[in-house]
Amino acid sequence: MLMMDLSAIEETTTEAHPLVDSISGVIGLAGTHKGVLAIHLPHRVAIAITSNFLGMDVDAMNSDVEDAVGELANMLGGNVKAILSEKGRDINLSMPTTISGRHYDYQPNKDAERIFIQFRCEPGEFAIELQLEK
Amino acid sequence: MEDEFDIASEIVKGAQDVFSTMLMIELESEDALFNKGCEIQSNLTSMIGLGGGIRGVLAIHCPATVAKAITSGFLGMEVLELDDDVKDAIGEIANMVAGNLKVAYATIAINIELAIPTSIVGESFNMSGAAKSQRIIVPLKMNGEQFWIELMYVVN
Repeated sequence: MLMMDLSAIEETTTEAHPLVDSISGVIGLAGTHKGVLAIHLPHRVAIAITSNFLGMDVDAMNSDVEDAVGELANMLGGNVKAILSEKGRDINLSMPTTISGRHYDYQPNKDAERIFIQFRCEPGEFAIELQLEK
Repeated sequence: MEDEFDIASEIVKGAQDVFSTMLMIELESEDALFNKGCEIQSNLTSMIGLGGGIRGVLAIHCPATVAKAITSGFLGMEVLELDDDVKDAIGEIANMVAGNLKVAYATIAINIELAIPTSIVGESFNMSGAAKSQRIIVPLKMNGEQFWIELMYVVN
């Protein structure tokens, strides 16, 4: 989709730090498994990914970037759904939303199991996290 | 039938029900805003995904003072900082308001499943939904202080 190579650099279950100049794409999973998937991207990485996504230069944060990040969350959520449930039929995805800001904390749910994976691609690093109800 | 279903008033009813039973506080509501933005001052937003008959997200946007007041009422002790207790309390409120909305939708034969709540804490951030989604914002007041419940959704 994006023609970018990715490498996973770290997997933890505890990572939590403030997100600075970042955007998060968030999507909920409901049904036999309940959870939330989020992708956290620094603005410059999100802008670079959106440029590849749309095949045109994007040079600032705008609604195209929000839509692209939301769509990424949607696609990742679709993959997780298919892994957790046969053909994904017992899990429904919520609508993807994006959170964007200069400084914010994305908080895990106390009662959820959490996986946090840091990735690296050419424009920089980003993270994907999945929380599932225990 | 769906035309007669007033989502905004169901959200208000659901929120009033949660606040009166859990916190013994009567909420005042103002006119809901449909598909337009408004000035939202949030230091803590808890959101929960909805899937099934509608795909959406319900979010509660609270200034720090309101988030702490709700949590204090919830726990029966004074809360001074936006700590884990506050995130969990507002997340739980979001979960319960969404649960009431699920029950309301069931009366018009629309089945909704809930995801789990997550919270965002910060000084300056904003939230947006999918490009073609419907957006309803309900301004509410608790003891004179404003907070907001927002529903963004698309009908499947």
